[in-house]
Amino acid sequence: MTDQAAKLIEIDTRGQVCPSTLLVALDNMNRYQEDLYSGKMKLLIRTDNRDATTTIPDTAENMGYEIEVRQQDGFYEILISRPE
Amino acid sequence: MVTQSILIMYVVGALLGLISGFVMHRSDYCMAGMFRDLFMFRKTFRLRALGLQIVLTMIAFEVFRLLGLLPLYPFPILGTPSLANIMGGFLFGIGMVLAGGCVVGTLYKMGAGSLLSACAFVGLLLGSGIYAEIHPWWKAVIKQTTFFADYLTLSQLTGLSPVFFVLVVTVVTLPIFLKWRGQHQWEIKSRVAGYLQPWKTGVVLAGVGLFSYLLIGMPLGITTVYAKMAAMLENVFSPGHVAGLAFFQGKPLDVIHPASGTLLVGGAGPLVDYLWVIQFPLVVGIVLGSTLSALLLGEFKIYWRLPARQFLITLVGGTLLGLASRMVPGCNVWHLMGGLPIFALQSILFLFGLLPGVWVGSRLLSRLLLVKSST
Repeated sequence: MTDQAAKLIEIDTRGQVCPSTLLVALDNMNRYQEDLYSGKMKLLIRTDNRDATTTIPDTAENMGYEIEVRQQDGFYEILISRPE
Repeated sequence: MVTQSILIMYVVGALLGLISGFVMHRSDYCMAGMFRDLFMFRKTFRLRALGLQIVLTMIAFEVFRLLGLLPLYPFPILGTPSLANIMGGFLFGIGMVLAGGCVVGTLYKMGAGSLLSACAFVGLLLGSGIYAEIHPWWKAVIKQTTFFADYLTLSQLTGLSPVFFVLVVTVVTLPIFLKWRGQHQWEIKSRVAGYLQPWKTGVVLAGVGLFSYLLIGMPLGITTVYAKMAAMLENVFSPGHVAGLAFFQGKPLDVIHPASGTLLVGGAGPLVDYLWVIQFPLVVGIVLGSTLSALLLGEFKIYWRLPARQFLITLVGGTLLGLASRMVPGCNVWHLMGGLPIFALQSILFLFGLLPGVWVGSRLLSRLLLVKSST
């Protein structure tokens, strides 16, 4: 139920210089920590950086978040949501 | 006998480049990222693979030297150690972090469609061209700060055989490598298709470096050809000026390849010489190898709408990188994948300068990238 109400924050770092994706992701994970943990928010990151598809999930998992990585047309979507 | 035929040299160089570009893209084997992550995120995962590559290269070079298959030892172009190697390395470190890739990372990222890396590449040419203008002054600095005018490597300096140093490094690093293996620290869980664990790319690149040394007489190098490309472009607009610059007259490559008897001569000047034949196909190969990998994975795509600030950061970073490559002289590929494995004094000093440079670059870049999101 909380899922339906969860606000989705979208970040698009496609094409940006390394390590923008990880820096911006960390910045947002810290800034919205409370809302992310409570399930009020979800974070969706769009990136074309291969390295970010391992570094962001690793960091986010260490912080206890749930992670999903999906390949789209020429880029990746990383969804960070509250711990199960 | 590769050096007997220019055509074969082109083909070999392009093949070595294609292989390198392909595997580097698969692992995102970014040396700028490896060193940057050490300071920015305290992560050493990918840096470990580079460590493995350097140690493997070191052992391979020594084995083949002992077998008598590396008659050009130390390899050509390598110079004597000076303070310039440290100062150049420092600027190089800042430059590569800002550029978002080193002199070869920029190539494979550009090959995969990165517009900002293309921007850094323009900077690389620009910086290489700028160096030609300050060369007489910098040459004097090198001359004044040279430590040992007669020694190129640690073994020449100490009188000890390279075998000794190779054994010491192997004995020290092997237990560490095995410990990491026991802790499963060589591999990372990947969530994308076609991911190649970085240690495997390290092994492939050690092989590529060895083949280059065996076949062409020196390990991988690419940045002199950047200066050459800059000279060629400048030559279109101002041939008189290019002809008057001492840097473009120099021939740092001047050696007879023992296997073929071919006289390999070349420099940064705007001509197609052996330096061009050795380095240019490698550059093209790396770009295309990466493009191929990205296309096969359905990842090749160019993004145009990017923050203006990042164009500026990568252009400045690339320019610094190009300038520093000539000031060192030499780049991270040349020194870390080639010089360090034979304990070249220049390469050791380059590393000493590189590390603090990367630290400064990392601090600068975090600030520059995060300024926007807080306003």
